[in-house]
Amino acid sequence: MSRSHEATIPPARGFSSSSGGGLKTSTPASLELLYAAAAASDPFEGIASAMSFTKHLLMHNCDVWTPDWYNPTQDPQLGTTIMAVEYDGGVVLAADSRTSTGTYVANRVSDKITAVAPPYIYCARSGSAADTQMLADTVRRYVTALALETQRPATVRTAAALFRELIYQNKSRLTAGVICAGWDPLNGGQVYSITLGGTLVRQPFSIGGSGSTYIYGYCDASYRKGMNREACIAFCQQAASLAMARDGSSGGVLRMVCIEESGAQRLLFTEDQLPRGWQG
Amino acid sequence: MAGVGSGYDLTTTTFSPEGRVYQVEYATKAVEQSGTVIGIRCVDGVVLAVENLRGVKLLRPDSLRRIFAVDRHIGIAVAGIGPDGRHMVGRARSEAQNYRSVYAEEIPPSLLAERLASYAHVYSLYWHVRPFGCTILIGGWDASQGPCLYVVEPDGSGYKYRAYANGKGRTAVRTALNKLNFEQLTCTSAVQEIARMIHQSRDIAKDKPYELEMAWISEASDHKFARVPGALVVSSRQAVEEEPQQMETGGSTASADRGETPSTSTHIMEES
Amino acid sequence: MIETPTHTTEPIVTGSSVLGVQCVDGVVLACDTLASYGSLARFQRITRLHQPAPGVVIAGGGEYSDLQQLFRITDNIFRQEFCQEDGYELSPRALHSYLARVLYGRRSRMDPLYNSLAVAGKGRFLGCIDLYGTAFESEAVATGIGALLALPLIRKQWHAALAMDEGVRLLEECLRVLYYRDCRALRSVQVAKVSDSGEVLISEPYELSNLQWKVAQAAEEV
Repeated sequence: MSRSHEATIPPARGFSSSSGGGLKTSTPASLELLYAAAAASDPFEGIASAMSFTKHLLMHNCDVWTPDWYNPTQDPQLGTTIMAVEYDGGVVLAADSRTSTGTYVANRVSDKITAVAPPYIYCARSGSAADTQMLADTVRRYVTALALETQRPATVRTAAALFRELIYQNKSRLTAGVICAGWDPLNGGQVYSITLGGTLVRQPFSIGGSGSTYIYGYCDASYRKGMNREACIAFCQQAASLAMARDGSSGGVLRMVCIEESGAQRLLFTEDQLPRGWQG
Repeated sequence: MAGVGSGYDLTTTTFSPEGRVYQVEYATKAVEQSGTVIGIRCVDGVVLAVENLRGVKLLRPDSLRRIFAVDRHIGIAVAGIGPDGRHMVGRARSEAQNYRSVYAEEIPPSLLAERLASYAHVYSLYWHVRPFGCTILIGGWDASQGPCLYVVEPDGSGYKYRAYANGKGRTAVRTALNKLNFEQLTCTSAVQEIARMIHQSRDIAKDKPYELEMAWISEASDHKFARVPGALVVSSRQAVEEEPQQMETGGSTASADRGETPSTSTHIMEES
Repeated sequence: MIETPTHTTEPIVTGSSVLGVQCVDGVVLACDTLASYGSLARFQRITRLHQPAPGVVIAGGGEYSDLQQLFRITDNIFRQEFCQEDGYELSPRALHSYLARVLYGRRSRMDPLYNSLAVAGKGRFLGCIDLYGTAFESEAVATGIGALLALPLIRKQWHAALAMDEGVRLLEECLRVLYYRDCRALRSVQVAKVSDSGEVLISEPYELSNLQWKVAQAAEEV
């Protein structure tokens, strides 16, 4: 699949999105300035020139050395570990913080847990950073409009169905795996998993992203029905840290969001606060 | 031209000097001439009922319909011009289906009412269309709020009601509705009350024979749109028709009411 | 740059075979409850059986998101039927034909719904549709790898007096074989029974019993 229209120079803008929405970057200030200067003259100039440079290299088979991380045709990917767990009265979402472009860590403190309808519905994103940011923004817009129109908060199911619809109808264009989770008065804590092709499945807990493949066994073995909030947090800490340890595309810090009737709470765990497994 | 509107009633785009839009008012007249239509929100559901006047004797029973299913949890009763109502029902159905396919949930009746009201309103803004000659009663079951009744009028206004009546017998029926205790009224007793109200609002000497068409969305029907069981409708109707005393007194007051009496705005509005 | 759609040739979340057999008193459908993500057994307790209306059951394999879409489409059809209130109901055969048109229409647009379906209904209806829209009725159907592994078994044991309970046991035996020999099969299965009169019974997911592994000892290397 061609993705060249998505090309950006690493580290590009918008790798992370804040919970409030909009594009909030965590790029170094100097690069920001550089970008601002480029954007002022022609917003597409930087992108276009980087694009043509790489194309030039590829097309003319130039014998010019470029570092393997310098590949502007590659999308910033959330090669990721994300997960969410239902418990009686709420949910916990968890995500690592690594955003990579090839093997280069474009952002080591990104926030992959994005508010959809704060404080009750959040999503954890994996796949293309650009695609999932767009998706989260779009769903947030829909859900906000719906809440205003119906004068009641949208349900988690509705938010998940919107993700499903967007991913399903654009499956050949998008690279996005989303876990949508939250709490609503009708059905309590809920976790919905939306996969690449737009399959929507509700699950008691869900794991996603490249890191998840390393911890299916662990999660299946240690998940228990009816865990409380603390047990769910511990479960996420253990599972996510194991994935972050083994998956090269996951890492950084562990972010969590706990959602229940009283609202959402953000948690942050750095490496030294996480359990460590066997290394060897 | 020399009628009441005297030149200001040709389109909805012209106000009269008193600030009235005559075409819309004429549309409400069409509603008032309709067979009586009643909607009641009860504790365990919402009941919609229509007095179907059988103008032609050769017409087969049940071939006149004024109550329609919109979705599994919503039904609409039409007062006024039938085809206009059917158009609104068609619109309602596509709104409901569209909502479901986008949001994966049933459309809240309140939202459907709002959308239909906006739709009706558009038809009071342009010279090349005429307003809908119908008032529609939307009965539905809201997942979080239970049974509810909304009414959308030809001018595009929409209200939420405990009970509502329009059509020929509206004045008598509205008076009777005001006496109901909505805190305790169940759907089954509402069906009986409706049969009585419609019967008593009629002038047996003049009025044509009628069919009683009733549907509900109730606990008995699993919160889904369903026709009220025929046996219940028949028995409720028989019960009131076999009360000669009631019929006499009710009939005499009703005959005065039926006609062009302006509405006394006694319908019970819950919120606007 | 021309974008070549790849989802038409590469399903992502997939279900495996579905089986169906006509019996003397109704029809039985069976399938496992797995939706795979490549070789990963990603969703192990999903249902691939769907009852859109009384007296009809659809079972499907292939791309699960497309299957969910098909289930939504059929639900819509029957919701419209409900609103129509004309006293007529869509027969299982009509639904089977309709779904065949939907699938054929999509393949003609070069954007197929990547599914194979079995449709069972009252009046002993059993039909099968593939992703090209090829549709037929048969007393025994099996899709995917089941067409290779299970269909011969069903055909061999099928007889005109087969009762539904026997049919369930027959399909269970086929699912057992599929569990042994299909890498995308699961032990957790679901069975739907549709009686002649339209009574539908869809079982909760349950585990296949009586699995036979004694052969493992014989296969031990000396």
